[in-house]
Amino acid sequence: MNPLELTLGIMTAVGGFVDISELVFAAKAGSIFGYALIWVFALSTGGIMVFGEMSGRVAAVAKQPVFNLMRHRLGLKLGLITLFASLIANLITCAAEVGGVALILRYLTGAPYALMAVVGTAILMASMWVLPFKWIERTYGLLGLFMIAFIAALVAIHAPWGKIAGGFVPQIPHGLSTKELLVFAYFAVAIVSAVMFPYEAYFYSSGGIEEEWGPKDLPMNKITCTVGFGLGSLLSIAILASSAQLFGPANVGPELLGSSALEVAIPFGWVGLLIALLGMLFAISGAAIETCMANAYSISQFFGWEWGRHRKPWDAPRFTVTWIVLFLAALAIILTGVDPMQLVEYAVLFSILVLPLTYLPLLLLAGDKSYMKEHANGRFAKSLGWFYFALITLAALGALPLYFLTSGGQG
Amino acid sequence: MTPSDPLKVISQLLDLPLIDCNGNYCGIVDDVAFTGGAGKEARLEALLVGPGAYRGRMPRWAMWLVRTVAGDRLTRVPMAKIKSIGSAVELNTAAEKLGLHAVENRVRRHIPRVGAM
Amino acid sequence: MRCLVLLPLLALSAACSKGPQADLPSISKARSLAAEWALINQQSAELKLTTAYVGTMRASIREQLQTAATALTQPNSAYGVEIRTLLKEPDDASPKDLSTHVQALKTIEDSLESA
Repeated sequence: MNPLELTLGIMTAVGGFVDISELVFAAKAGSIFGYALIWVFALSTGGIMVFGEMSGRVAAVAKQPVFNLMRHRLGLKLGLITLFASLIANLITCAAEVGGVALILRYLTGAPYALMAVVGTAILMASMWVLPFKWIERTYGLLGLFMIAFIAALVAIHAPWGKIAGGFVPQIPHGLSTKELLVFAYFAVAIVSAVMFPYEAYFYSSGGIEEEWGPKDLPMNKITCTVGFGLGSLLSIAILASSAQLFGPANVGPELLGSSALEVAIPFGWVGLLIALLGMLFAISGAAIETCMANAYSISQFFGWEWGRHRKPWDAPRFTVTWIVLFLAALAIILTGVDPMQLVEYAVLFSILVLPLTYLPLLLLAGDKSYMKEHANGRFAKSLGWFYFALITLAALGALPLYFLTSGGQG
Repeated sequence: MTPSDPLKVISQLLDLPLIDCNGNYCGIVDDVAFTGGAGKEARLEALLVGPGAYRGRMPRWAMWLVRTVAGDRLTRVPMAKIKSIGSAVELNTAAEKLGLHAVENRVRRHIPRVGAM
Repeated sequence: MRCLVLLPLLALSAACSKGPQADLPSISKARSLAAEWALINQQSAELKLTTAYVGTMRASIREQLQTAATALTQPNSAYGVEIRTLLKEPDDASPKDLSTHVQALKTIEDSLESA
C-alpha cells in the first residue's frame, strides 16, 4: 500500500463527500431540530461505508463494474427498469448540483444566474474532456477540502461539544407534536437518501475499474471508505451543528443555499465567507461531475459500450457523447427556471425510491463466491449489508407519504 | 471457464459484457443461438449481440421503442471466437473483425481529437 | 393493513387543502427568508460579507418572498399583509426592523401549528 496514494485517496473522499443535498439538509436539520439528527448522519454514513466498500471490492475482484454485473444478475427487463429509474434520479441530482454551482458562482461574482449556469457547465465539461479520471477525481476532491472551514467555524463559535456528542445517540426529541414528528421522520429519510445517493456506488465501482484496482487494493478500498467517508461526514455534521447554534435561535430555516456560508462568515468575516463558498463550489462541482459520469457509466456498461475517462474521449465515443448530452440535459433543466433547492427535494425523493434497486444487486454480487471467490462478503459484511438494505427499504416506503404529509419538510 | 466446459446459459452467459482480444468492450450477450431442433441434439452456436436480439425478451411495444431509438442491428459471434467465460466473455478476435464496433467507429468520426490529456 | 390504505389518502388530502393551514409552508418560508435577510444585513453592517454576496442574497430573498406571497391561498389575511409589508422594506433595512417581521410571522406560524 503506497502511503501517498492512500492519503490522497482519503483526502479525496473527505473533500468529495458533501454535495448540495447534504449541505441543504444538514443546515435545515440543525436549524429545526438542533443536534437531534446527528445520529441519522452517522448511521447513514455507516451505510455508504458498507456499500461503498462492497462496490470497490466487486470492482477490484470481479474486474467488472457494478452495472455490468447487475444486468447479468437481474436480466434485461428488470435491468432496464433499474437503469431507467437510476437515470432519472441521477439526472435530477446532476441538475440540482449544476444549479448549485450556478448559485455559488453568482454569490461569488454577482453575475446573472443563467449565465453562471452556462459558464459553470462549460467549465465542468471542459474538465471532463481535458483531464483523465484520476485528475478529475483528485482536483475536485482535494479542492473540496476548503469545506474544512466549516469545522474550523464550529470550533470558533464555541459549540456545545457535549450536546453535539449527545446527538450521536439515536433519539427522537421529546414533546414534538404529530406534525413535527412527521417532519422529523421526513428529514431522517432525506438524510439517508442524501448520504447514500445511488450515483455514489456506481461512480465508486467504475472509478475502481478506471484505476485498475486488483485484490491488492482491497485494504486501501476499505480504509478509504471507512476513514475517508467517516471524516467526510464530519463536514456535514459540522454544518448541522453550526446551524443549530447560529440559525435555530435566529429563526433561520435556511431557505437559500448561500446562507450556509454565513456559518463561516460569522466567526471569520469575508475571508471565511469566500473560503466557504469556494469549498461549496468545488464540493458541488465534484458531485455534478460524479452524477453525470455515473449516468454515462451506467448507460455504457448496460449496453456494452466502451467507457471511461482512463481512455481519451475519442476512444470511448458513445460514452463521450452520452456524458455531453447528460450535462446539456442537466443544464436545460436548470435553464427552465426551476429552483435548484426544489430539485434537491426531488433528487432525494427519487433517489430513496431507487436505492433498494441499486443496493440489492450489489449486496448479492458482493456475496457471490463465483465472482468474489475468497473475497465474498463475510458474516459481518453480510449482516451489515442486510441491515442497511432493510433500513433503506423502510425509508423508501415512507418517503412519498412523508413528502406529501409534510409539504416537503415544511410542516 | 472455456466454451467447451459445462455452462448454464442464463446464469453464466446471458447478459455478460463482451471484451475483445485488445481489451475493448464490444457489446453484451443479448441472446444466444442454438443449432438443432426438436428431437435432435442442440448445440450452442453463437452469441447474439445488438438491439435486434432483444426480440423475444421484451414486450412488443418495448421492441417498437427499441427499434425506433437504436435500430434492430444484430451481430452473431460464433462460439469459436470465445476464449473464456467468467465475469465477462473474452474473445480471441478483435471487435472490428466481428463487426462489433461499427456504431462505435461511426460515432468516433464525429469526436474531435484535441485537448484531452 | 388499514394504515397502509389510510396513509396515502391522508397524504393526498393534505396536498389538496386550502386556507391558513395550507399557507403554513409559505408562512414558514417567508419567516425564514426574513430572518436570513436580517442576519445578512447584520453581518454586512459588521463588514463580514462581500458586496456581490450581499447583493445576490438580497435579490434571491426578494424573489422567493414574492413567490411565497403569490402562492398564498388567502392573500388578504394577516400573514398576507405582513409578507407584503416585509417586501416593501428597503434592501438595507435594519436587522431590528426585519426581526419585527420575523417575530410577527413566527407568532402566526406558532398559533397555526398549535391549532
